[in-house]
Amino acid sequence: MPLLDRSEYYDLIRTTNWTPSYVSEDELYPEEMSGSRGIPMEKWESFDEPYKVAYGEYVATQREKDSGAYSVKAALERANFVDTADPGWISILKAHYGAISVPEYAAMTGEARMARFSKAPGNRNMAVFGMMDETRHGQIQLYFAHEHTRRSRQWDWAHKAMHANEWGALAARHFFDDMMMTRDAIAVSLMLTFAFETGFTNMQFLGLAADAAEAGDHTFANLISSVQTDEARHAQQGGPNLKILIENGRKDEAQKMIDVAFWRSWKLFSVLTGPMMDYYTPLESREQSFKEFMQEWIIGQFERQITDLGLDTPWYWDEFIRALDETHHGMHLGVWYWRPTVWWNPAAGVTPEDRDWLEEKYPGWNDTWGNLWDVIIENLVEGRPELTGPATLPMICNMSNIPIVGTPSNGWNVKDYPLVHNGRLYHFGSEPDRWVFEQDPERYQGHMNFIDRFLAGWIQPMDLMGGLQYMGLAPGEIGDDAHNYEWVSRYTPDVAGTAAG
Amino acid sequence: MTDAPEVLKPLRTWSHLATRRRRPTEYEVVSTNLHYRQDNPDSPWELDPDIHMNKWYRRYCNDSPLRHDDWDAFRDPDQLVYRTYNILQDGQETYVRSVLEQFSDREHDSGLSVEWAGILASHHTPARYLFHTLQMASAYLSQMAPASTISNCSTFEAADSLRWLTHTAYRTVELSRAFPDLGIGTEERRRWESDDAWQGFRELMEKALVAWDWAESFTAVNLVAKPAVEGAVLSGLSRAGRQEDDLVLSLLTESQLRDSERHRRWSTALVEMALENEGNRDVLNGWLAKWAPMGEAAVDAYCANLPDGGALAASAKEAMSSFHTGLGLAAG
Repeated sequence: MPLLDRSEYYDLIRTTNWTPSYVSEDELYPEEMSGSRGIPMEKWESFDEPYKVAYGEYVATQREKDSGAYSVKAALERANFVDTADPGWISILKAHYGAISVPEYAAMTGEARMARFSKAPGNRNMAVFGMMDETRHGQIQLYFAHEHTRRSRQWDWAHKAMHANEWGALAARHFFDDMMMTRDAIAVSLMLTFAFETGFTNMQFLGLAADAAEAGDHTFANLISSVQTDEARHAQQGGPNLKILIENGRKDEAQKMIDVAFWRSWKLFSVLTGPMMDYYTPLESREQSFKEFMQEWIIGQFERQITDLGLDTPWYWDEFIRALDETHHGMHLGVWYWRPTVWWNPAAGVTPEDRDWLEEKYPGWNDTWGNLWDVIIENLVEGRPELTGPATLPMICNMSNIPIVGTPSNGWNVKDYPLVHNGRLYHFGSEPDRWVFEQDPERYQGHMNFIDRFLAGWIQPMDLMGGLQYMGLAPGEIGDDAHNYEWVSRYTPDVAGTAAG
Repeated sequence: MTDAPEVLKPLRTWSHLATRRRRPTEYEVVSTNLHYRQDNPDSPWELDPDIHMNKWYRRYCNDSPLRHDDWDAFRDPDQLVYRTYNILQDGQETYVRSVLEQFSDREHDSGLSVEWAGILASHHTPARYLFHTLQMASAYLSQMAPASTISNCSTFEAADSLRWLTHTAYRTVELSRAFPDLGIGTEERRRWESDDAWQGFRELMEKALVAWDWAESFTAVNLVAKPAVEGAVLSGLSRAGRQEDDLVLSLLTESQLRDSERHRRWSTALVEMALENEGNRDVLNGWLAKWAPMGEAAVDAYCANLPDGGALAASAKEAMSSFHTGLGLAAG
């Protein structure tokens, strides 16, 4: 007799719900951890994960995958790609590892929330593999980043960032803690696995992998596409729960969770992935623009997935599509301008050729963002670098915890979206950011963003040095222009054939 | 900025590991100090400090009566990381597959007596519920432990419990085909919910699953429930099976017990670390006094109707008690 096929015993592995009697069902699955929303236990038993895997297959497949990723790394180590790569690309690696490695490990906790508290037995089992996957993603990315610590202290931030009060790390924690760490099991499955992982990790792990391959960074391309194969599996926990919610009359709640998570994910990507793809990646290695990647992965695929499941596109969809031309340009300008406040060296990405590309991908770029860069360039050309760095702090959104931006110059539309709640004035970067707050003010009301902390006197002395100290950034770690301003020479009058434009 | 006087020099490892003289191992590089929620005890999560989940972590993690100044110093004695776990367990699963295949070829199950098959139906196949409760309990500890190095041990343990559950489901299907009239594959839930043999374990696990304090949860599950399960449901039943030539059970159990030995190694290391703080001895003994009697009652109820059950129960309880004594804790 041959071995049994997985399909012959798989259903028994996920037939594990029982009726407790030594403690009550509500004690065993507290609503705030479990989030069953009044839907009876047996309804959750219809959870049917589309991607099925049994334990033995899991360890065999994962062993193979790791063996592949670690041997590519080992084989290419001697090639010293990092020592010869474009500094813009190195900045992508530093930003990525700092913003992603430890939060991926933290996602283990979100998976564990489902593994313990979901009332769907299939969800509990899949989430154990999810816990394992996220452990992998934390560990493998820390391991890959670690070999570079000897190159610059900025690489230390692959581990350190999430422990620091650096503004970007603070924004990432606020986002991840909201989506995956402080929600009930069902909300985690919708907000983390469905909205964030199905919607957005494709962008970071496949979109960026395409750029990495173009840039010649095969170690990184291989690593993050290997990570994405796990994401593609465990992201499929949200769909079946979504189906159960809709079948049991909870569509509105499900829709709201997706709408909140989607908008918050977008804002994080606008500051992290947008600048990487459109400014840091060397021009010749850009596979597509950030907007094109978003159109392909988010508008093309995610929109279809949510409508297939019976949900609507979020109410702010038009605003989201409009913002694809805007937000990340503002984030990039802000990050470059406040460059001492990040743990990587932002690449300006505004040589004349870069600008032609930006104008082609984002018509009107030169007439808006370009005008601001012209001022920066002029100051640099004329030897006034002190005018190209921060003397004040930006306005920061009380939801996304990143700067409030809009289109500048001839397209001026920069606007604050304020809200007074319980006597406190909050500021938001968009209508959807304010809307997210209004859906659940108790979650957010007592949080202090970086500017709130500054104004409350938590940050001393109240100047740039005090701010950097509070953020945990010392010389050797603080960011500066990735190319050490060499690109500015393209704009000096004695270089033939170039002109600011 | 570019001409700042003192520039931090690159290090050979993460700054938090750099003060040690020894070069960190791969295990330390990828496993240590990862729970950023431990940085701000007033608000573990970067949201309103008073939301439910912040209160939950303050109360059940940060304010646990089990105290240590530096839980992050905990190290898994096996130094297991994700990639070595898969190498280890893929090897174990290859062994399991070969056992299942060989004995299926030899029609092992049709050689079992009906009496023994009845015991497997009452005492073995319903264990998938029990193993699932262990899986859930470990998933809880993973999300609540105060150090990533503790969480990781617990995550691997959760996966191991899913492994045992998977083996049990597999054998349930095979046994149901060899013995179609014993309710195998259909009666497990009823047996888990109402057979006397299982009520002790069900009570223990339902209560352990709501022991929300991370350290009490660890005590109830890793120091009491797992030793009880391993003594009675794994080793005990497998010993009884040897009299019946149930080699599949015995060889599968053998492999599962390798997991539980590893669980016991890290649990022992964690207790040793906790006992560096003398005040913790009373805390752990207090919890043991509460949980160990439930563990013993579960062993007694499970073994009651097994052949030579009295001896099996005595040996399982003796093993649990000497585990506790070996930890420097008072049993019972």
